[in-house]
Amino acid sequence: MTAYIVRRLWQMIPTMLGVVVLVFVLFNWVGGDPAYVLAGKISNQEQIDNIRRQLGVDQPYYVQLGIFLKQIVTADFGASWSTNERVSHILLTRLGPSLTVLVPLTILSTLISIGLALAVAYVRGSLTDRLVMIVCTVGLSISILVYIIVFQYVFAYKLGWFPVQGWGDGFAQNLFVYASLPILIGLVVSIAPDLRLYRTFVLDEINQDYVRTARAKGLSENRIMWIHVLRNASIPIITNLMAGLPGLLLGSFLIERFFSIPGIGREVILAVERSDFPVIKAITVYVAFATILTNLLADLTYKAVDPRVQLK
Amino acid sequence: MRGWIAIVFSAALVCVSPHAPAADMTKVVRQVFPAAETGFDPAGVQDLYSATIEQALFETLLTYDYLARPSKLVPLTAESLPAITDNGKTYTLHVKKGIYFIDDPVFKVRKRELTAADYAYSLKRLIDPKIRSPWAWLVEGKIVGLDELAGQAKKTGKFDYDAKIPGLETPDRYTLVIRLKDTDYNLSYILAHEPTSAVAREVIEAYADTAGRAMANPVGTGAYRLQQWVRSSRVVLEANPGYRGFTWDFTSSDPADQKLIAEMKGKKMPQVGRVEVSIIEEDQARLLAFQSGELDLMDLGGPLAPNVLDAGKLKPEFAKKGIKLSRIIDPAIIYHYWNLQDPIVGGMSKDKIALRRAMAMAYNVDEEVKVVRNDQAIEAQYPIPPGVVGYDASYRSPVEHDVATANKLLDAFGYKKGADGWRNLPDGKPFTIRYASRPDSLGRQQDELWKKALDSIGIRMEVQKDKFPELLKLERQCKLMMRTASWIADWPDAENFMQLLYGPNTGQNNNACARIPEYDKLYEQSLRIPPGPARDKLYHEMTKIIEAYAPWRLDVLTYRNMLVSPRVEGYRKHPILHNEWAYIDIAPKGRGAAPATGSRGTPD
Repeated sequence: MTAYIVRRLWQMIPTMLGVVVLVFVLFNWVGGDPAYVLAGKISNQEQIDNIRRQLGVDQPYYVQLGIFLKQIVTADFGASWSTNERVSHILLTRLGPSLTVLVPLTILSTLISIGLALAVAYVRGSLTDRLVMIVCTVGLSISILVYIIVFQYVFAYKLGWFPVQGWGDGFAQNLFVYASLPILIGLVVSIAPDLRLYRTFVLDEINQDYVRTARAKGLSENRIMWIHVLRNASIPIITNLMAGLPGLLLGSFLIERFFSIPGIGREVILAVERSDFPVIKAITVYVAFATILTNLLADLTYKAVDPRVQLK
Repeated sequence: MRGWIAIVFSAALVCVSPHAPAADMTKVVRQVFPAAETGFDPAGVQDLYSATIEQALFETLLTYDYLARPSKLVPLTAESLPAITDNGKTYTLHVKKGIYFIDDPVFKVRKRELTAADYAYSLKRLIDPKIRSPWAWLVEGKIVGLDELAGQAKKTGKFDYDAKIPGLETPDRYTLVIRLKDTDYNLSYILAHEPTSAVAREVIEAYADTAGRAMANPVGTGAYRLQQWVRSSRVVLEANPGYRGFTWDFTSSDPADQKLIAEMKGKKMPQVGRVEVSIIEEDQARLLAFQSGELDLMDLGGPLAPNVLDAGKLKPEFAKKGIKLSRIIDPAIIYHYWNLQDPIVGGMSKDKIALRRAMAMAYNVDEEVKVVRNDQAIEAQYPIPPGVVGYDASYRSPVEHDVATANKLLDAFGYKKGADGWRNLPDGKPFTIRYASRPDSLGRQQDELWKKALDSIGIRMEVQKDKFPELLKLERQCKLMMRTASWIADWPDAENFMQLLYGPNTGQNNNACARIPEYDKLYEQSLRIPPGPARDKLYHEMTKIIEAYAPWRLDVLTYRNMLVSPRVEGYRKHPILHNEWAYIDIAPKGRGAAPATGSRGTPD
């Protein structure tokens, strides 16, 4: 097991290098020269050159790439080009609001989707099953933007059940007051596709011989579904869940923007609008790193859930 | 008995205190910004929203009268307007005594008084190469000895703030003498511009980041101090308890202002004790938050206007709720320019001028006003917008939408149509106009209008899309053929607009890269004349040159629509000041009550 983990960690290096080179090339290709924006309404070439020198964008590309690599190794991405705020401070302060919305959303969405998937799979082919599938299909065909606009208008503005937008100072206030509607929207958006997917995983298991054997032995339906079927269906569910975890680091762009949540997603949009390369670099690298780590974690979880899985 | 003693003692304290605060901490005004701020160092930031906050935290020597239109300079921390001598080359100002910075650990336990040296220091910071201030141009090339000091700093890597220069002298604690290299009657406006606000040197030295900016530790003398800052999300200000205050005593001859004057006259200001600013980028969220009573002040913006306004007035459902509208024309112009150094559209030969004029006539500004601007704009007639000294309301531009004349002009100057239906250059070579724009919805709409305009006169057009920084770069290098640009007044004087076509400003803000000797000569003459009829005459002549050579097609002037909740009293949007928090009040409960949260009609 240890050898496997070490080998996987070792394999991260070329993957990360690929990400670094891709981000670097993309930004320098499409990002534009920030010095012209930072120089102000009226500036001369000397001032622009001074800014470029201070930002380090006057250096040859290989030198800039070297600085980027050094920043990754030292985990110090410097300061934002537009606000001079330390990038580490940006990440630390924006992560909390994003997680306040996305962690409860992920937990609730997973539990509800699994529960409903087991239930509709159990009554597969029935009117209930078909109705749920139709609702899911319609639901996942609608853009999240429509949900946000309609829910914000109806539940926050018309009915006044939630604030239209905002973010407070305390965790409880944020979770129960400001994050409630964004979480509700997130649930509506995520449950439909997850439910359909998980139902398929459960249906694959429900027709297996071991289920028939369990029934023949007289086990209760609850035990069969929640213990035996769910355990065997959990590997693809874990895969799906783990694939979504790095997204927690990115926040939800639209939800954070529409509800004025000061999270990472909103910061990413700001950074792109401002051509703020240090922030973009840091977030991209951390998300790539998190993706690779969660993939490893998913593989280890397979082994824990199903001892038959061999890690090679 | 003990209670009475306490009350009498407290009342006596308030009476003897030189800065008895008028602000009521329970009076809260809530404003929304559509974009994030960046920080609060006057020399370090250039975005409107940071400047709006800065204007409440810091103070300039001069400011603007709240109600006077066109905007009128008045002293703020200065005793009076500057004494201008030596043909506009020497400015002398006296800082009021007894103004203090807000308390800060840097000052230890002492009160720190504002002095003339703080203004001299703040002006020097603008040109310190380390700070790379976007406002260096306000002082560069103007103040005697300052450029040399900056040059020295470039060599040594350290700006010598202690060095004495003849251009910035403080003969005593409260007197500031500014000596200029050349006559400049606009320096007073610069001294009212927030980048020249006073900061304390010890504060900057204590809190500066690697770029020499103190973006997160604003310590000023303004009416408010920073109470909370959640970056890109929320800014909370509270009244500065040490602020000297003032009595609301503004006058106006505008009948629309009389109710406001009656409400506010004689009040000790500021009344508002707390300012909460939310940053909400999305239009729908902003409007719903305002309608739900979560906000008091909101800039409506063009895309939202049709939801709220009808023919420039509030729709009945909004007016019925007591919501008020403060509407002004922004002191800004939007114009289309052609690069006069471009081989196709540039140059001063008759055929090139004819080509530019024909394109100017082909463009339909009315259509832009309706389709792109949602009727929240009017056609610009003069390069100087309303509210700016030098504006001429009676001037009518001869450049009109006239496709027939545009076609005749092109025919007359040899731009004949080829077999493919598109016009060729007089030498018979085909050509294409490249219109540069940003990849956003406004850019796309303008692309379509220009395509339609140039199609109507048989000129082939293609769109050059690029990100804003790249467009700026190409523009400064005179590598764009044509583009739509805008300019908002840094101060309300015509010079701020007329310099946009001054030849030596090519590569900076003369985005048409125009070098028109007649224009440059008149501009230089205008600098030596104080505002008045003689200068206005020169601006008329310069405008005629713009119309004749067509480096620009003047486009539109845009409206700014501020929605004001019923509980706010005394609000009127100022064209130059970014915020009005120190001039307004919150109505007592029961008078001008805010709309209750929840259902209050539809926004669309």
